[in-house]
Amino acid sequence: DSHIQYERVGADVTMKCGSMDWDAAVTWTANGTDIDESHLNGSYLILKNVDLTQSGQYSCYEGSSWHLKYQTYLRVGTPPKEPVLMCRSNNYPKGFYCSWHLPTPTYIPNSFNISVIHGTREMVCEKDAFPKNRCHIRYLQLFSTVKYKVTLTVTNALGKNSTTLTFDEVAIVKPDPPESVVAKPVPNNPRRLEVSWQNPSSWPDPESFPLKFFLRYRPLILDQWQHVELSDGTSHTITDAYAGKEYIIQVAAKDNDIGTWSDWSVAVHATPWTEEPKHLTTEAQVTETTSASTSSFMPPPTTKICDKGAVVGS
Amino acid sequence: MAASDSPSAALRRRDLCSRGIRLAGKMRSDVVDLLDTYVERQGLDASASVVAVEGVPAAAVERWDEQTGTQRLLENLAAYRAFRALLAQMLEEQREQLGEADAALGRALAAVLLQVSAFAYHLEELLRLESHGPPSEEGASPPPPSHLSLFEKKLRGLGVLRELAQWAVRSARDLRQIAKPSLGSSSAPSLAESP
Repeated sequence: DSHIQYERVGADVTMKCGSMDWDAAVTWTANGTDIDESHLNGSYLILKNVDLTQSGQYSCYEGSSWHLKYQTYLRVGTPPKEPVLMCRSNNYPKGFYCSWHLPTPTYIPNSFNISVIHGTREMVCEKDAFPKNRCHIRYLQLFSTVKYKVTLTVTNALGKNSTTLTFDEVAIVKPDPPESVVAKPVPNNPRRLEVSWQNPSSWPDPESFPLKFFLRYRPLILDQWQHVELSDGTSHTITDAYAGKEYIIQVAAKDNDIGTWSDWSVAVHATPWTEEPKHLTTEAQVTETTSASTSSFMPPPTTKICDKGAVVGS
Repeated sequence: MAASDSPSAALRRRDLCSRGIRLAGKMRSDVVDLLDTYVERQGLDASASVVAVEGVPAAAVERWDEQTGTQRLLENLAAYRAFRALLAQMLEEQREQLGEADAALGRALAAVLLQVSAFAYHLEELLRLESHGPPSEEGASPPPPSHLSLFEKKLRGLGVLRELAQWAVRSARDLRQIAKPSLGSSSAPSLAESP
């Protein structure tokens, strides 16, 4: 009989040659290669302190007739550790999704079971085709003060583990980052940059569930970001840019009333408008260049202090 | 009852809605602050779960996006009238229990009570834009008698404030739905289309 045998890393494994007696003459192979006699105790195969490399197909043949008497596929692995579970609503108020992973691999197949309880009601978590370890739940009720309790249980042939999350409806609301971020210089304005973006396409109803935004920008030559929070609209004009310096700009989003900030958007780069160099005679050119080089780096008059309470992407 | 939909009524409605949204936002942040103070002063556990308390309007709602504008306003008004009575009772109990010992909590409660009353009036204004106007208050059930123990009263107060915080979020959402231009709105019919 051929089947799968699961064993823990480090275990000692004994395999009998099917119904053969202990003192019967047999030959054992691993993946088709004969196994040294030192691993045999009579007709039993003994594997000490097995490791992952010893996973494979083990076969036992009757000594003289080479008749296959026993075959098994040995899978060496570990029982599952406590899984890591995360639930989030990036399309509020439609629903939320939960995703999970194991902190360390088990090297053998695992099965996951998730239960979502809201008050006394069990809710269905519909598995997503992709990514694999994820499912989503549709809100049946909004504005509830009753907490959600999500329990994930992971099982494999060597053991079982679980984790539970309890949260309020509003606490897990975290939009996706804003999309289509564009930054452009403003002609004839050496200190301005025009930034625009769009609501994340996953956010279903920005009219009833408006988002507010957090813009951060800095010249590439500096490390310190400047921040500005915007409670409506999807564009902003930076008016205190260093003239002629390339800027990096990112935007984050948050529901106006609840939840946490999104991660930062993709970064965009832009450089404020600079005047075209005039075609001068040589003498004029010299005087022009000397005066220009001393004044091109002027720090902005005002630096906006960000809202201390706002931590993005946490 | 078709809502009056003259341009001036539509403008008035949008104005009332946007002011109501701001009031709901302010009320919510004040209620959240009050909740922290209340939990601390009353010696409660912030994560204590409070089962649905009799007489406290639950903000939770199913198929919220299918509600008509009139339904939203009527449910909101009924809730804030109930909260007005509940907060007044909490204030009275708080004074009896602590007197001036905790004036700060009393003032915070009174401030939220004022906002709740203002918001109820605001909702009545919105309903007046409709032909049938707000329902009368006669016969509205007063809060149940206080045969509760001191600890039960404190838990009840926690339940009231938690639901009120959720209602403030819901109200802002409701008003945004109502303020939506009625044509081409993909969501539930706004006030103008209410039956």
